[in-house]
Amino acid sequence: MERFQKYYLSLIFLAIYSQISAQANCSIFTEENCRKACEISNQASEHQGLSLSQLAFDKAIEICPTYDNAYFEKSVPYLKNGDFITWKALIDKAVELNPKEHLGYRAWCRYQFLRDYKGAIQDFDELEKYYPDNLGYSKNGDYNLYVVKAICYSAINQKDKAIQILENLFKTKDYHFGLYDYFQLGVTYFETGKYDKALENFEKQSKVYDFAENIYFRSKVSKIRNKDYLDLKSLALKSYDEGKTMKDAYTHHFNKIYRVQITEL
Amino acid sequence: MKNLLYIFFLLPVLFSCQSEKRVTIYPNKVGDIVFDKNIDSPDFKKCMDKDYGIQYYSINNSGGLPYEGEKIAIIQKLEKLSLSSSKKINGYITIRFIVNCEGKTGLFRVQQMNDNYLEENLDKDFSVKLLNFTKSLNGWILKENRGIKLDYYQYLTYKITNGKVSEILP
Repeated sequence: MERFQKYYLSLIFLAIYSQISAQANCSIFTEENCRKACEISNQASEHQGLSLSQLAFDKAIEICPTYDNAYFEKSVPYLKNGDFITWKALIDKAVELNPKEHLGYRAWCRYQFLRDYKGAIQDFDELEKYYPDNLGYSKNGDYNLYVVKAICYSAINQKDKAIQILENLFKTKDYHFGLYDYFQLGVTYFETGKYDKALENFEKQSKVYDFAENIYFRSKVSKIRNKDYLDLKSLALKSYDEGKTMKDAYTHHFNKIYRVQITEL
Repeated sequence: MKNLLYIFFLLPVLFSCQSEKRVTIYPNKVGDIVFDKNIDSPDFKKCMDKDYGIQYYSINNSGGLPYEGEKIAIIQKLEKLSLSSSKKINGYITIRFIVNCEGKTGLFRVQQMNDNYLEENLDKDFSVKLLNFTKSLNGWILKENRGIKLDYYQYLTYKITNGKVSEILP
């Protein structure tokens, strides 16, 4: 039985290991209590979600009530486990103390975990006041946050606004394209009936990373135009079965296509 | 063991708390659900001897919803029922539960919040309908590691817009 216990514990630590957040640099704090709070918080964040970890964050907050990262780190397990009321109260406190640091993350989570498109847009607008040129990236690294903002506008049916944001972003000097950027723009064009522009972006996407959803939409455009689409449909299914799909560890991507949708094309 | 070392390092932090201060009590792991004889079915059995707090996203990660036919199967099943609230409510109804090693579900917990993320009883009848729908889902994919089948925590969040489910998450 002890062997099993060790095994299960190792599973838990393996699971937690993948969730470790970036460690804050505590040497920047000149005030002793806040430096200590930072160190406690760093240590506790390595054991995300455990009761002792949560208690340690409380201790960090007690000795340095302005230490935003303790609120942020404490909030994360609630988000992942679906307790959004507790998460929001804690992340709001982190944002209040340090909006430059946490606004982008809160916006991303509102979109990713709750599809709170309007709430996310509000946060992005606020964030833009601090960073007018670059909002940063989503927590999972898949998107520039301007792309997420565009997705939110697309979701609330402001497609032209979404297209405008993406087209402007893609023209930015030295812009680093994300894994699904062209695809998201392509789908937005597709939804407005601009199939040439849609296809142009799906083709560009295929040169960055061609995955089942992108091939599915190319196939769909072909079908609409009464062209042969079955080869692309087969390729989309093959890619899907090989695992070349839009993936997220916790939720689902916007504009994700499921296997059954490809088979029904 | 690693966790003992962790406790060892954190003890000074915790004992330095003044004893008269109220300390929040947390479950062993955030989100743990404990059997409650008043609401939980005694027929539901967990397979593991202890609660190791394994979540939907840990072990054999399949992207938030390990379900036969993927998330769209749940969406389509719900659409067929055409459930809606009699009120024009907006907010979220989240149902958390455990999937055991046989794919059976139990220990359901419901959380309702408005679109300002504040707890609010949006519509009790509607939440019961969504709870019953969640209980009816029987395609949960088993999680196992090295041949050992695991119990895990899962949740479904129903985004409610004008009294209807507009999205299912995660």
